[in-house]
Amino acid sequence: MDYKELTVQLVNRCLRQGADAAEVYLQTGRNLSVRVRNADIETIQEASSSGIGFRVMVDGKMGFSHSNDLSRSALDNTISRAIAFARLTTPDDSNVLPSDTGFTDVEGLYDPEIARVSMDRKIDMALALEEMAMKDPKITHSSGASWGEREGEVFIANSNGISKTYKSSMCSVGVGVVAQKEDQRRTGFESSSRRFFADLEPLEEIAESAAQKAWELLDPRMVSTQRTAVIFDPSVAASLLRGVIVAINGERVLQGASFLQESMNQQFASPLLTITDDGTVPKGSGSSPFDGEGVPTRKRVLVENGVLRGFLYNTQVAARAGTESTGNASRGGYTSLPGIGTHNLYLGTGDHSQEDIIAATNRGLLLKGVTGYGINPVNGNFSGGATGFWIENGRIAYPVEGLTIAGSASQILNGIDMMGNDIDMNRAFASPTFRVAEMQIGGA
Amino acid sequence: MKKPVRTIPRRKFLEMSMKGGLLVAATPALMNQLISCSPAVNGGPGLDTDKSVLDKVIAKALAQGGEFADVYLENRISRQIIMEESLFRSGLYGIRQGAGVRVVVGDKTGFAYTDEITEENLMRAAEVASYIARNTDTITPVNIAGAERESFITVEQPLNQIADERRIEIMERANQAAMDYDPRIRMAKIDYYDQTRGRVIANSEGLYLRDELPLMFFIVETMGDDGTNRHMSRERISEHAGFEMFERNTPESVARRAARESIAMLGAEDAPAGMMDVVMENGWGGVLIHEAVGHPLEADNIARGIGAFTGKVGQKVATEHFTMVDDGTIPHMRGTINYDDEGTQAQRNVLIENGVLLGYMTDILSANQLDMKRTGNGRRETFRHIPIPRMTNTFIENGNDKPADILASTKSGLYVQSLSGGSVNPVTGVFNFTCREAYLIENGKKTTPVKGATLIGSCMGVISNIDAVGDDLDFGPGICGKGGQSAEVTAGQPTLRIRGINVGGSRV
Repeated sequence: MDYKELTVQLVNRCLRQGADAAEVYLQTGRNLSVRVRNADIETIQEASSSGIGFRVMVDGKMGFSHSNDLSRSALDNTISRAIAFARLTTPDDSNVLPSDTGFTDVEGLYDPEIARVSMDRKIDMALALEEMAMKDPKITHSSGASWGEREGEVFIANSNGISKTYKSSMCSVGVGVVAQKEDQRRTGFESSSRRFFADLEPLEEIAESAAQKAWELLDPRMVSTQRTAVIFDPSVAASLLRGVIVAINGERVLQGASFLQESMNQQFASPLLTITDDGTVPKGSGSSPFDGEGVPTRKRVLVENGVLRGFLYNTQVAARAGTESTGNASRGGYTSLPGIGTHNLYLGTGDHSQEDIIAATNRGLLLKGVTGYGINPVNGNFSGGATGFWIENGRIAYPVEGLTIAGSASQILNGIDMMGNDIDMNRAFASPTFRVAEMQIGGA
Repeated sequence: MKKPVRTIPRRKFLEMSMKGGLLVAATPALMNQLISCSPAVNGGPGLDTDKSVLDKVIAKALAQGGEFADVYLENRISRQIIMEESLFRSGLYGIRQGAGVRVVVGDKTGFAYTDEITEENLMRAAEVASYIARNTDTITPVNIAGAERESFITVEQPLNQIADERRIEIMERANQAAMDYDPRIRMAKIDYYDQTRGRVIANSEGLYLRDELPLMFFIVETMGDDGTNRHMSRERISEHAGFEMFERNTPESVARRAARESIAMLGAEDAPAGMMDVVMENGWGGVLIHEAVGHPLEADNIARGIGAFTGKVGQKVATEHFTMVDDGTIPHMRGTINYDDEGTQAQRNVLIENGVLLGYMTDILSANQLDMKRTGNGRRETFRHIPIPRMTNTFIENGNDKPADILASTKSGLYVQSLSGGSVNPVTGVFNFTCREAYLIENGKKTTPVKGATLIGSCMGVISNIDAVGDDLDFGPGICGKGGQSAEVTAGQPTLRIRGINVGGSRV
């Protein structure tokens, strides 16, 4: 079946069945995952699936339905359900669909090679990775290694003439290990995810990193409750900043549920903080030629030297705010309405290596793990659990665990006083190391 | 219209009444009636697949070898309506159906699924799943036969007989109650969800099971804003039940509970940091034990030899005040399942009794690996997922203390009234929780509300430090995530006190 043609036909069928406007979102996908443990296969899962979502407007009211049964009768029924549901909702002038038929050319989203690599080779990679991670004598148990891949195709058509499609792939290989010493257990996990098979990191490096993460925090100590400097490792920066991203979601801003709603074009963070969202990064794991409702993606600076420069919008919320979509409609799949999200988000880098930042810190915490929800997007509070290393006299002194860190977004974001140069752009949220001059730490 | 209810044996009735303190009646026949509507709705063959086809699929799955195979067919119909800022923003209707085929050989699992339930696709899935079992000994599957038990899930008002206008009316009532509560309530969001999930499970041991689980989920979020402070709260009710859930728990009462917290927390000050005693109010606070103790007692990591409780059965792991239970049979609760997703009967499993570890929660695979009994905890999110050990309704049993005495005898510390959620590393047992509503305890009294408090600790630490357990067991509904799969659960506890938890806050 030609799905591109099908989506266009289905838009017309929605209109014939009584919709004033309609959007059809069709997704197909194939997944494979292999998990090995103790040098043997534990699970192999393989499947392909597809599904379709219908968003319709009737008299300015919106309804949505989805089905993974693509038979004609099922689709007819699903469309009529969406139309019937639309009649229940409230009319809203902002219930509009995009009309930009443009297409951003993004390179490197699909690698046909992944499917060509044999199953046996993929299994062997996972087995080899586990073996390498277990080589270190400090590692006592394996939690397993895994291979994962998925590829899929998205088709969007709407009654404003949009008809777009793109194909993407992703593969990943990872391992988890445990270091046990008497009653202490520590876990370490590392993986590499890439759109192209050839770009996966060397297995040795993944294995070493997982093992190191497990043993480096053995024999942790506790420190006393105090205020001190906190250095955020790149791996934990995202967990802090997620709340900032939610707080610049245009819908939450309109609802009065964002701590940044009054901050447009104002300095709300340290001049060292610049945040960019870019859906067009070649081979980027968050890249796509268009967003979840077909609007072309682009690169946008959201925070520039601590000044808030933009909120995130999809078409509906933009209409409500009296502006244009920023290409940030996000979609969990064919089963959900478009929400608002980011593509590839990254922080602007500074001049310092992580070593420089540690050396410049007389006393403080190098944060390697943080638990909790990050900054609360509604009121800007932050509080979470922390693990990492204690720094004394510019050097790593010993591992610490079971600490808490807390503060307000304003204190933390304005307190950033050193920005690193060590960014890994392969992550969908990429950050260098940065230091917050002072935060509250809860300990013994 | 009320459906006729079937008489249930007196002993069972007493058990159920005692457990939940609820009047219940079981109506298993109803399930089949509901399910028969599904094929007509979506036009697909779905769950009506002939038993003989399933026999063939299972035989195919084991053709290359293997010890166990099962087929899981599912059909889910869901409705969701969202009201925000007093407007009905969207209505969603969804159909999801498909089937998964699994083959187990030793510690290995092969699995494949298909969205389209046809004999051809099922046979292909069986072939893919059988890849794992190449060159192993084969067994002959037993032809499948029916299984029956009484349902703990009662339905008086089936979801497919409820007009959408009644759903809308419930939402309007909740919204009105929230907005009327206080002028400082600036926004309410009402999320109505219901789902009917039909299942067919057949396996090489001869099981054939067909049933249906209705699910209701109703969430009210409110935001309080006094111009200086802002607090968003969330109140949820959820049951495996029909629309009569709203008679037990009115939409107004849900909305007012959310609004009360939003207003109460506007006066919150920064939370203190450091080690302190914590009193946890009864109800959803049980999620702390769900994370800190429940997940480490799921048998998959135990079978891998890496769980925090590995090798500790029969040992004293907690104070004698502490008894913890997982029970998938409490009438119409969100975690109740009758059968798990492998067809094992759900039951009451006492995990820790008076501080002594009695056992783990197993699925078929981990029960085989550990040579333990199946406890009915093999659950899967959908036909696209393999079963893994999961909790159902997990709770701490009542103790003898009076909640008021627990508070009064706590000189200073933190009173946690509600948690927004948290997580645990099941290998190390280290957990974290974010408090949504919490108060200082000063001289045995709840005083100032505090914001931004996080609790962190280790599972062994927390259960060895519980020194008071109240007599007011209550439950809260939740969504539990594990291994990329979510499951409907409840967590419950009486009011209790934990001596010395590390609290994260921004004030010294």
